[in-house]
Amino acid sequence: MKLNIDGLLVYFPYDYIYPEQYSYMLELKRTLDAKGHGVLEMPSGTGKTISLLSLIVAYQKAFPLEVTKLIYCSRTVPEIEKVVEELRKLMEFYCKQTGESNNFLALALSSRKNLCIHPEVSSLRFGKEVDGKCHSLTASYIRAQRHSDPNLPSCRFYEEFDSVGRQVPLPPGIYNLDDLKDFGRRKGWCPYYLARYSIMHANIVVYSYHYLLDPKIADLVSKELAKKSVVVFDEAHNIDNVCIDSMSVNITRRTLDRCQNNVDTLQNTISKIKETDAAKLKEEYRRLVEGLKEANVARETDVYLANPVLPDEILQEAVPGTIRTAEHFVGFLRRFMEYLKSRLRVHHVVQESTPQFLKDIFEKVCIDRKPLRFCAERLQSLLRTLEIADIADFSAVTLIANFATLVSTYSQGFTIIIEPFEDRTPTIANPVLHFSCMDPSIAIKPVFQRFQSVVITSGTLSPLDIYPRILDFRPVTMASFTMTLARTCLCPLIVGRGNDQVALSSKFETREDFAVIRNYGNLLLEMSAIVPDGIVAFFTSYMYMENIVASWYEQGILENIQRNKLIFIETPDAAETSMALEKYQEACENGRGAILLSVARGKVSEGIDFVHHFGRAVIMFGVPYVYTQSRILKARLEYLRDHFQIRENDFLTFDAMRHAAQCVGRAIRGKTDYGLMIFADKRYARADKRGKLPRWIQEHISDGSLNLTVDEAIQLSKHFLRQMAQPFRQEDQLGLSLLTLEQLESEEVLQKIAKIAHQT
Amino acid sequence: MYLFSMASLSEEVLLVVKKVRQRKQDGTLYLMAERIAWGPEGKDRFTVSHLYADIRCQKISPDGKAKIQLQLILHTGESTTFHFSNESSALKDRDAAKELLQQLLPKFKKKANKELEEKNRMLQEDPVLFQLYKDLVVSQVISADEFWANRLGDMNNSDPTPYNNKQDVGISGAFLADIRPQTDGCNGLRYNLTADIIESIFRTYPAVKQKYGENVPHNLTEKEFWTRFFQSHYFHRDRINTGTQDIFSECAKQDEKGLKSMVVQGVKNPLVDLLSLEDKTLDEGYGVSTTTPSTSNANRTVKESSNAAIIKRFNHHSAMVLAAGSRKGQAAQMGTRGILTSSSLLLNPFFSLAIEYEDLQRENRLKTVALNLKKSDRYAHGPVPLQSQHYTTSQDIINSVNHIRHEMVNYKPNLTQVLSSTAASSAITALSPGGVLMMTGTQQAINQMIPTEVQGELKHLYAAAGELLRHFWSCFPVNSPFLEEKVMKMKTNLERFQMTKLCPFQEKIQRQYLSTNLTGHLEEMLQTAYSKFHVWQTRRMLRKT
Repeated sequence: MKLNIDGLLVYFPYDYIYPEQYSYMLELKRTLDAKGHGVLEMPSGTGKTISLLSLIVAYQKAFPLEVTKLIYCSRTVPEIEKVVEELRKLMEFYCKQTGESNNFLALALSSRKNLCIHPEVSSLRFGKEVDGKCHSLTASYIRAQRHSDPNLPSCRFYEEFDSVGRQVPLPPGIYNLDDLKDFGRRKGWCPYYLARYSIMHANIVVYSYHYLLDPKIADLVSKELAKKSVVVFDEAHNIDNVCIDSMSVNITRRTLDRCQNNVDTLQNTISKIKETDAAKLKEEYRRLVEGLKEANVARETDVYLANPVLPDEILQEAVPGTIRTAEHFVGFLRRFMEYLKSRLRVHHVVQESTPQFLKDIFEKVCIDRKPLRFCAERLQSLLRTLEIADIADFSAVTLIANFATLVSTYSQGFTIIIEPFEDRTPTIANPVLHFSCMDPSIAIKPVFQRFQSVVITSGTLSPLDIYPRILDFRPVTMASFTMTLARTCLCPLIVGRGNDQVALSSKFETREDFAVIRNYGNLLLEMSAIVPDGIVAFFTSYMYMENIVASWYEQGILENIQRNKLIFIETPDAAETSMALEKYQEACENGRGAILLSVARGKVSEGIDFVHHFGRAVIMFGVPYVYTQSRILKARLEYLRDHFQIRENDFLTFDAMRHAAQCVGRAIRGKTDYGLMIFADKRYARADKRGKLPRWIQEHISDGSLNLTVDEAIQLSKHFLRQMAQPFRQEDQLGLSLLTLEQLESEEVLQKIAKIAHQT
Repeated sequence: MYLFSMASLSEEVLLVVKKVRQRKQDGTLYLMAERIAWGPEGKDRFTVSHLYADIRCQKISPDGKAKIQLQLILHTGESTTFHFSNESSALKDRDAAKELLQQLLPKFKKKANKELEEKNRMLQEDPVLFQLYKDLVVSQVISADEFWANRLGDMNNSDPTPYNNKQDVGISGAFLADIRPQTDGCNGLRYNLTADIIESIFRTYPAVKQKYGENVPHNLTEKEFWTRFFQSHYFHRDRINTGTQDIFSECAKQDEKGLKSMVVQGVKNPLVDLLSLEDKTLDEGYGVSTTTPSTSNANRTVKESSNAAIIKRFNHHSAMVLAAGSRKGQAAQMGTRGILTSSSLLLNPFFSLAIEYEDLQRENRLKTVALNLKKSDRYAHGPVPLQSQHYTTSQDIINSVNHIRHEMVNYKPNLTQVLSSTAASSAITALSPGGVLMMTGTQQAINQMIPTEVQGELKHLYAAAGELLRHFWSCFPVNSPFLEEKVMKMKTNLERFQMTKLCPFQEKIQRQYLSTNLTGHLEEMLQTAYSKFHVWQTRRMLRKT
């Protein structure tokens, strides 16, 4: 249908529209008009992605000079591919409606591992190996060597792309990862570099967060993207953690050992080159003296990782004299490494700020701040000069150099914690140096500054006001949309007591309490008897799940559950869990029914949807608080309190509730879907917890379902499931939660829609 | 051998065991191809003979008991016990018989089971048939065989298609839990294993089956094998501590291998592949969450690793149970997947499903009939006794009282137009019970006059009588000795039916003073049959003489 969104003609590739989608588009348009940033929460399964795409594409077509590019960031590869498929659907609709052929170029970009078509390289299993192998075939000095020795291996796809691929731009169209590979195979071009080259002139780019948030990659890939772009972070409820991860470093004794090897190799290579090709080193030195930042112009294939600090923090001056010659630099690295080794020989926990660390390093080994800041770049330059082929081997020394640069660049927002052992195993020495970012706004700041509109959206962003605070930006729009429902297809229940009136809670004091564990088991057992097909249960942590599973096993609860359904359990091993997941789905599919025991904050809770019969009930055992004894977390909480005036408890509850909401939200993926959401902890009933759940869940929690016993919950669930099992027709939805074009045009409906958005 | 003369058909004798007592009589036990039989010493006939198909299971006396016995339990619930009394080789004899039976029984069991299942199904699906069965077979008017004799024939001929493609039966997820150990009274445990459970174990854990094949019977007896199985850590939770002398330690390793190979195979659906979920995993050393040391085995406590083993085991167990149930389906699945990957131009089905919003599209699916529930609560809670919904409000009552009062006030008898007293009294007689005008009325009211239970009983009697009579009449014309025999039997059956079913019923209705002749027609039908029988019998007598 064709919509009129505040004067903008929007093509929407469906016959009907949800009211909240309309409302969402209105809000989005306001954000774009104001050229500002927005925070929008809309329940999953209400077609967020297609609303976003429809509006922004329409905007791009109407105002091609105002918005030149859409950068759509999602979290996982399947999500990225889904977005591109939705976009394809939209574009096909455009073509059908307007009769014009598509002149938009949209493509997905992913790592080499997902795009490589070189037969040998692509068969490698890990991304790191693929990157390293690719580098060893395509680095400019390797290709230069091939001129003298044509027998050296090469990547014909890259060669072909390099010679002809750049001249003709990628024809307009929608390119998913597989499409890019197909195209690459047909032309004989490398799809990865083709994609990286093409995002410069593409209208829509879909890729993962890291390409924008991690400075080490963002500077390589996204440096030249136009300022007049709209950036969308979908599923952004965890964006603060992504930001923090991209700036943090951990150093263990093993890292240092491997680094030692790397430095030795560097040393050997330098002395070898000195005998054979001393001119090369001299040339590098000469250029560094001349103040060139890099000794030679780095080709796209040469750079493995860019500078770990943000672009505006990189010093635009010559490399200091102390580390200009290769030997001096290697010596410098050695000194730095020895210093770190000595720091790891502690017997108690040390926590210090970056200035303290710098002061200490100056006093102990006379290392200045300035050369440290150049460490990362100097190392990259050296690696290129030495023409190291397999750069993946040098990850340890790169890590150390990156750490050096980071620690000397930022004096605020970071902390250094050295722990001599793990808390759980105080007898085993395992020293770790955590260099931890505490301020997510550091990494995302350049994105907000650079691009004219940044939209942060997800199904669970409540409470909305906390994101602008922790990411430090001023949004022009903030809105939370609820899900209009013709039938209440979600049933949140808070089970606070067992049948024996024992209070259910995962809080620390009652963790080991057998009565609680037994009642939890009882809840799962009884649910397994009444819920059809799939049940997903989440625990607060892996340890907790292991213990509970073990005691359920001893009490024979699992045996009884097995009579009703098969049991699959998430393990720390991703491959094993994937298999369990697939079997779980198979068991739901063939009618046997299954239970998946999983962990909040785990991979399953973050990335897997349990649509329809794959998840008819989600049980959240306990409140998924983060492990509060961690020193990194404590430091971060302190920082939040001092700099953002966010109280520790507020943040912890917010964090726990967003994960709980993520977990239970996995089961509802649309209005035709339905599912039970069982919060098995009495603490959920408190207003401060409940109030932090997304509005679309909160408004279905009735006062009567705040403190149920297991039996009562079972009764309510039975009733709910029987009602939901009735056929659900489109006519039931029309006018309420589904609108036709005519309905959209009536004044009355528009007024109703306006109420859906909940402004904050 | 004289055996051959005894049996009507020549049978292959598989095993002969002498000195077997049955009901305190010495005799010989014969195991033949299709049946087991026992004959007393010195007699040339079998006093006990059971088809293997009739035997539900065999039981043996526990070791160490003075009497060495073997008990056969039939499907009918009867049992026969054989006592092996040869002093020197009693145990050996018994085990030989047991082993042989063990091999033979399952072969017949399937056939018997299938038939039993079929009968069971028919009875469940057809309430009338079930009632008939109860009336005729359970009350021993005719035997079960007779009852089924022509039913099953019908069934096999008429529509065999739905029953022929037999379904594979899956495995219960909790079959190991179902082996409830019982204490045997002297500080030991007894596990009851059935053939089904053994099959489940074999299908779920092929490694155990392999071990069984390798070790039984030459290294271990069957009993020893299972004893070791249950004692083994393999069966119990902490599989990590499997000793090397344990034959099942290898199984555990094999299972591990199987699980690993499953894991290595990876998953087909990209939406659940956690390995390729992340686009770019942070390099080692970056990020806040450190390399999780708890997964490395070195510093895990024993408890933790045994917990991890349980979790692994559950995943493996569930996967195997699932696989055992769907082994056939796999080929088909692989096929469709092959098609999907080859045509990359098509949308990836996993994604196209994931982005589908079915309710946003105009419906072009088949219209289904929706259940139209007036009261969904009643549907959800099951039937509730229906309460009278017709209320009269107090206002209604007051109004109607007022109305009647008003009528009565205005009532004036019109005495000039009444009937004469003779005409009135004759009309009253005619309308009283027994009067001329009431004759048809009683006839109609028969279903109101007789209590429903009697009606139901009558219906059953009719059905049963009809069934018997059908058998009876189907014998005519009697032109074979078999039919002759059958017609005689049916006659006695009919008589028995009259005696045991009809007569009590008649007495009952008499007791309840339901004078109407309810059973007259039934008796008439029986009488017709009897007279037919008499005619036939007299004619036969005449022919014979």
